[in-house]
Amino acid sequence: MHRRIFSHPILDFKRGKPVKIYFEGKEIQAYEGETVAAALVANGIDVFGESYKRNRPRGFYCAIGKCSSCVMIIDGESNVRTCITPVREGMKVARQHGRGDPKW
Amino acid sequence: MVETDFLVIGGGPAGLSAALEASRRGVKTLVVDEGIEAGGQLLKQTHKFFGHEGFYASVRGFEIAKEILNSLGDNVDILTMTTVTGVYEDVITAYDRNADKMIEIKPRFTLIATGASERFIQFENNDLPGVYGAGAVQTLMNQYGVLPGERVLMIGSGNIGLIVSYQLLQAGAEVKAIVEIANKVGGYEVHANKIKRFGVPIILRHTIKKVVGDQRVEGAIIVEVDDEFNEIPGSEKELAVDTVCIATGLTPSIEIAAMAGVELQYIPELGGYVPYRDENMRTNISNLFIAGDVSGIEEATTAMIEGSIAGLVVASECKKLDLTEEIASMKKELSEFRSGPFSEKVRSGLKKFSIDYPTYSYRDSVQRQEPPKGKLVPVIECNQAIPCNPCQTSCPTGAITVSGNINSLPEIDYNKCVGCGVCVMKCPGLAIFMIQENAENNTDVVVIPWEFALPEKGEAVIALDKDGEPVCEGEIFKVVKSSNKTHLVYLKVPTGHGRSVRNFARLQREDNRYVCRCEEITEADIEKAIEQGFTDFEELRRYLRLGMGPCGGRTCRLNALSILARKTGKKISELGHGVFRPPAMPIKFESLLKGEKSHGE
Repeated sequence: MHRRIFSHPILDFKRGKPVKIYFEGKEIQAYEGETVAAALVANGIDVFGESYKRNRPRGFYCAIGKCSSCVMIIDGESNVRTCITPVREGMKVARQHGRGDPKW
Repeated sequence: MVETDFLVIGGGPAGLSAALEASRRGVKTLVVDEGIEAGGQLLKQTHKFFGHEGFYASVRGFEIAKEILNSLGDNVDILTMTTVTGVYEDVITAYDRNADKMIEIKPRFTLIATGASERFIQFENNDLPGVYGAGAVQTLMNQYGVLPGERVLMIGSGNIGLIVSYQLLQAGAEVKAIVEIANKVGGYEVHANKIKRFGVPIILRHTIKKVVGDQRVEGAIIVEVDDEFNEIPGSEKELAVDTVCIATGLTPSIEIAAMAGVELQYIPELGGYVPYRDENMRTNISNLFIAGDVSGIEEATTAMIEGSIAGLVVASECKKLDLTEEIASMKKELSEFRSGPFSEKVRSGLKKFSIDYPTYSYRDSVQRQEPPKGKLVPVIECNQAIPCNPCQTSCPTGAITVSGNINSLPEIDYNKCVGCGVCVMKCPGLAIFMIQENAENNTDVVVIPWEFALPEKGEAVIALDKDGEPVCEGEIFKVVKSSNKTHLVYLKVPTGHGRSVRNFARLQREDNRYVCRCEEITEADIEKAIEQGFTDFEELRRYLRLGMGPCGGRTCRLNALSILARKTGKKISELGHGVFRPPAMPIKFESLLKGEKSHGE
């Protein structure tokens, strides 16, 4: 699924250098400067994890770091808010089930 | 431990305006912002702001953020990706995500400008991916260029719902409908008109009942409500959408203010619990200020003015300056912005903090002159008093006036108007058109403010009315590009239609009418190549691989030639038919090698 906007009447999207990130082991295309949530949605991935009581699918909701709906496991760390975390080359992103495995 | 004169929590319109006013008067300022870059919600606003030139009217939100950030001097440090986590008696703590560590800040003065968060509403399956805050969708599509869905249902017709719907259209999505539980549109009429003329229905007295889907949104069921907002059984309708945007309002992000000990009061007119402040934006704690949406939901221009007031007050106390005049003039601005009918709610909310804003008289009905026939002149369709005046300030001949209060409706003097179209480009509501009735050859001319992909001169289009309904055929005869991206499209329509035409639809055929099956080349591909200058069959073949597939051109040659004839105005017999080369059908190299060898043995 292709969800990137390439031509826009008002905005000129200056995407950064292409980088590769890994979603559940699968390589996906992202651009430097964008958030993990934006990169996933651009690649047609809307389900970021599962809720902790009823195992309901979860995706982003507010996209500005307020609601914590978008938390995922990034490079082994749980509960990272993907909507305000920029992508990095080689980053490993995984769906989080419930509360994840928080570090203390 | 970081020590600073002035800590600004939140680098949006209010916080940055405060930082600007304070720092340019020598106050050492630290702005802490959670985002990847500072600018807050301005970064995703692509519409032109209302108001007046002193506060960036007619400038698009993301450009305002750039302008303010560029004018901040050396006295300001900005810490991005940093979230204030607590306010204690002796120190303020923040988490720096970049460095993954806590920092402590000790300021002399603090401004809390933490903005707002989107309100959530209850309906079945409202937690499924595909149900998003309208602001969230705006962030993804306007900041990151990613569309989270293709077919959208918008819940709520306040300004955010209306603006985001228009922006979804600009980004190429389809907005199936906007549902509004009340019996009238909540936001500005000019914003509603922008999307109505694209045929997007605003369905009043309706709400969302349920989202259908397993892992994500696959559809939505809407339902009509009665006068008490109860669902009317049997009135359900299902819409095929993949995204539901919730635009049912905002609530102040009060967490930090509450922790700091600011008194909270529940004021529904201001969006929920609101921290106390006086008209200097000072809370009940003497060195702590608030500004922007955290002090009551309003909009970005008033947030900038509130921030400026807080910044000036801090500068006057921190640097012992007499800024009485500057502060008074900002307060006067605010008072004028809030004097119109749209600020009624804010005014009555602020009364609960004993802050009184007067209502000034404004002109709310205009007996506009009839546009003179035969002359190209603007028609102003701005019939709701909102604080805005770029039509007046941009008019080079002084033909348009918004007299007295900025909320007044504009008036136009057609004797002074020269039909230049500047007001059409500048109007933030895209509410000014130009018409010329009885132009020539039984046509009327309509000029439309256009913020989509540009049509071509000579293009035939379907002319639409203010509700997006087809009216007649039209022809684009001129396109004037504007640096502010509100371009002017000049449309010719049959006489008598000039007064009703307000939009047009392009005759876009789906690009899946194939001419060459082997190479999957469509009619549109060929037309485009011809327009680019490939005007004979051999050129098209080399450029597009037309006729180079396994059929050898049997399917496409004549069809391509007829398109070429139509586009170039030549007869097929005058065009070259192109070269025919062997093999006449695909042959394996192996077969060639095995066959008769009459040469070179």
